[in-house]
Amino acid sequence: MEEGKAYIESGILELYVLGELNEQEQHEVEAMAAQYPEVKQEISAIELAMEEYAIQHSVQPSKGLENKILEKIEAATIDTSKVSENLTTTTPQDAKILPLYPEGYESKLKTLRIALVACAVLLIVAGIALYSAHTELGTAKDQIIALNQDKQKFANTVNYMKETNQELQTIADMPNDPDWKTVKLAGTKMAPQAKMMVYWHTSGRHVMVDNSKMGLPKNDQAHQYQLWALVNGKPVDLGVFDVKADTTHILLKMKEIGSAQAFAVTLEKRGGVASPTMDQMIVMGGVSI
Amino acid sequence: MTTTKKISLSEEELVRALKSQETIAIKALYDMYSGALFGVVSRIILQPEVAEDVLQETFIKIWKSADNYDSAKGRLFTWMMNIARNLAIDKLRSKDFKNANKNQDIENNVDFIDAQKEVTFNADAIGLKDMVTSLKPEFNLVLDMVYFKGYTHVEAAEELDLPLGTVKTRIRMAIMELRKNFN
Repeated sequence: MEEGKAYIESGILELYVLGELNEQEQHEVEAMAAQYPEVKQEISAIELAMEEYAIQHSVQPSKGLENKILEKIEAATIDTSKVSENLTTTTPQDAKILPLYPEGYESKLKTLRIALVACAVLLIVAGIALYSAHTELGTAKDQIIALNQDKQKFANTVNYMKETNQELQTIADMPNDPDWKTVKLAGTKMAPQAKMMVYWHTSGRHVMVDNSKMGLPKNDQAHQYQLWALVNGKPVDLGVFDVKADTTHILLKMKEIGSAQAFAVTLEKRGGVASPTMDQMIVMGGVSI
Repeated sequence: MTTTKKISLSEEELVRALKSQETIAIKALYDMYSGALFGVVSRIILQPEVAEDVLQETFIKIWKSADNYDSAKGRLFTWMMNIARNLAIDKLRSKDFKNANKNQDIENNVDFIDAQKEVTFNADAIGLKDMVTSLKPEFNLVLDMVYFKGYTHVEAAEELDLPLGTVKTRIRMAIMELRKNFN
């Protein structure tokens, strides 16, 4: 008796009715119920209370459901011979429930596939467009570089022509200005074929060498020509110059001098020297008054 | 006791008819208990259409497993109730249900509220409401979590951060209180 009462008060019977016990515990309760009538009675009271509680909390399912269930059960009864032993059949339940969602998945999957294909196509098109744009951009860049080079060339040419034009103008104006002296320098014994022209403005003190009429042999890298003015028998340095094939200027400005009786050119080491090496004199010419 | 009674059989008759697979047993069970069972299922599964599928499965399982019912072990309703609760909990925890649920939360809440409005309060239920309020709310909470919400008593203890013994005591106290009111 006492054992039964303590068992009742443990609260295990409530859990039993609520389906909260594992199989072993259930067997234990059932054994106790078989042994003690008051345990069995207590279980029944709990069951009735819970049953009543559930009934009070009833929610009515929709009206068509009863017929649906009866149809299912009648259909299952016809097949009963096939499933007679298989009481815990789960397949009809699965078959019933699964269609709720897979249809949605199926169409979603289809949509996703189409979207995937569309994305792939778009990617390829975009790739091709990008590639062709990239190629065209490269071509355009090359063209811009080429045009820039052309432009630079033209600008250089224009500059050159401007300067040349200015220099030619200077030469053309010389005969009109009595202060401009044209001095022809003739080859010495050392270089009888050599000759050149020097323009000298007596009042403006300008000295210029005429590249267009240069008759000196080309100098090498180690040497340069040096122009001298002879002033009262003394040589005065007027600067060095090169004789090259590709001279850009017609006129070459030299150092200024106020008075001179003659001009001479010697071949000196590069950079020039303080006093001329007389045996290296190439050309010489006096100023005609 | 129930709101609409079309067919009502005694427990012995019901069990006999069910075990001998007479369809009248299902009709009677449906008329007598579909509301009570759906009350439990629809509190665990909040979408009415899914809950109805579970209720349908419940009756089919009751039908097919009739041989497994042993009246010596307990009342028929207790057995049916546990079938319904287990199916509902299985459904709630099934993968496809969880997946479908993720995208439908708001929608389902609306459905849930609608479903709640359909609860049929009869004269008994009004009396019950008074009775429930007379019970300490925390005692009733534990019982309702287990009985109506699909928690195991272990999960309820974890959720409420209570010792397992306290949870057991509260369930017992709540049921004691119910018995007092129903008798």
